Amino acid sequence: MMSTATVTNFMALPVVTRRVRAYFAPVNRTNQTPTIFDPSQNAQFPLDVPPAPWIDLGWIEDFARKSASTFSALNTGVPATTQYQVREAVGATVSFRFKTWNKLTMALACGSQHMNLLQPASGSAANGSGAKAMPAVSVQAGSTPTFIALNAGDTANFSAGALVAVDVDYAGQTGFVGSGVSAAYLRSAAAVNNDADYIRRVTFNVARVAQVTPGGLTLAQPLIAGTPANAMKAQPILGFVDREGGSFFQEWSALFVMPGEQGERIFFHYPRLQAMQGAQETNDVLAAPLERVALNASFRALPVTDTNDGEQVVCFRSFLPAPVALV
Amino acid sequence: MQNVKDTFYITLRNRLAALNPQRVVMLRGVQRPGILVEEAEAPMSQLPSDVFVLRWTVLNADTQLPSTLTQMTCEIHYATGGTQTNSGLDRGRAMAEMDAELLSILQPASAQKMDYTQTPAAQMETLVFWTAPEFSPLATSRERLMRVVKVNVFAFEEQGE
Repeated sequence: MMSTATVTNFMALPVVTRRVRAYFAPVNRTNQTPTIFDPSQNAQFPLDVPPAPWIDLGWIEDFARKSASTFSALNTGVPATTQYQVREAVGATVSFRFKTWNKLTMALACGSQHMNLLQPASGSAANGSGAKAMPAVSVQAGSTPTFIALNAGDTANFSAGALVAVDVDYAGQTGFVGSGVSAAYLRSAAAVNNDADYIRRVTFNVARVAQVTPGGLTLAQPLIAGTPANAMKAQPILGFVDREGGSFFQEWSALFVMPGEQGERIFFHYPRLQAMQGAQETNDVLAAPLERVALNASFRALPVTDTNDGEQVVCFRSFLPAPVALV
Repeated sequence: MQNVKDTFYITLRNRLAALNPQRVVMLRGVQRPGILVEEAEAPMSQLPSDVFVLRWTVLNADTQLPSTLTQMTCEIHYATGGTQTNSGLDRGRAMAEMDAELLSILQPASAQKMDYTQTPAAQMETLVFWTAPEFSPLATSRERLMRVVKVNVFAFEEQGE
């Protein structure tokens, strides 16, 4: 039956928004393959439940985009007049502040390798990014993204509420390392003293332990790399550390959503972002002397090829109009 | 938010009872530590002397966080006329004693959030924390000295709150 319902529409309305939400997805650094957000397929996702593999980074503040593209005029004639324009460079930067601190937000904002503070071995020499670690224990079959199966004797080093890193031993490989997210780039085994724990020191594959059972660790959050592989090991960690310095550039696929007050949505999708500043914070006074500490973040966008027309672009801006607005 | 108010009050009450067991108040036939929550008692025309009275006023909330951060202002009112034994001439000393007690029981400036609607009270996941006290100038009303201290109390809302 044909619908007879009518809709009274408004002229296009200004977008009014109050906040911006950020989402993370990994870039396959080895293949230089970002995660692509397709607004034609996923634009109406509930903001608390982004489509896989996107991970919610929460509301952010001081969001600012800048085009770094440059244009020039081609002038001919006397007197010269502009006959053509040329695009000399394509680029963009984006900056904002993360309101919350966690492994992902710290790592993305810090501009370089981001390390886990492995539980130190007894008597280890002091080191700024954490001492030599206590031995890791092997992950057993039957693990899931939220459960790490361990031998009964291996659970003693963990307790409910503890943090755990799960990844493979370093075995001399070079290139990008880290499960789920490329966490570092190694030029040689010597650079990391052939440390078997190095990948777990930098891995993003971390979680909080909700419960310890004789069969393993139930996690309070899923591991970013999914079900642990059999070769992985688990190691308790105490927290995180980053440094001013270092040689690695984190790279991630970013999605920012501005929900409008009339139901519209603006998306900013940067398939490839790399940090362009070191670790910095901003303190906002809540009520003296209490301050909320935000992570400053500033990124440069790198290009991808739009398969619809082969153009090299660094950012996609999408707009879903409000249901009542004429377009 | 009620858990925050309850936690803040009971934390101060317990600390006061330990610090100065002599500061007590008789309420509804029961002797209790000398601190009360105004909104949880019968309306009174004049606040009692030598007792800390908690009055909750402003409420703010930051909802742009994974857990809402609430900020509640607690005004702590207290007044004293000194002691009868000294004909009230010691009211300045009595006020100084209350100032010092309040400073003391507000430290440390945090406490584990508790749910006192259950018996026994249940420990929650987060901490309630508060600012340094903001002391108003001393006021005089007839024979009494009075002061108001403002404390901003913060807490993250937990699931189910």
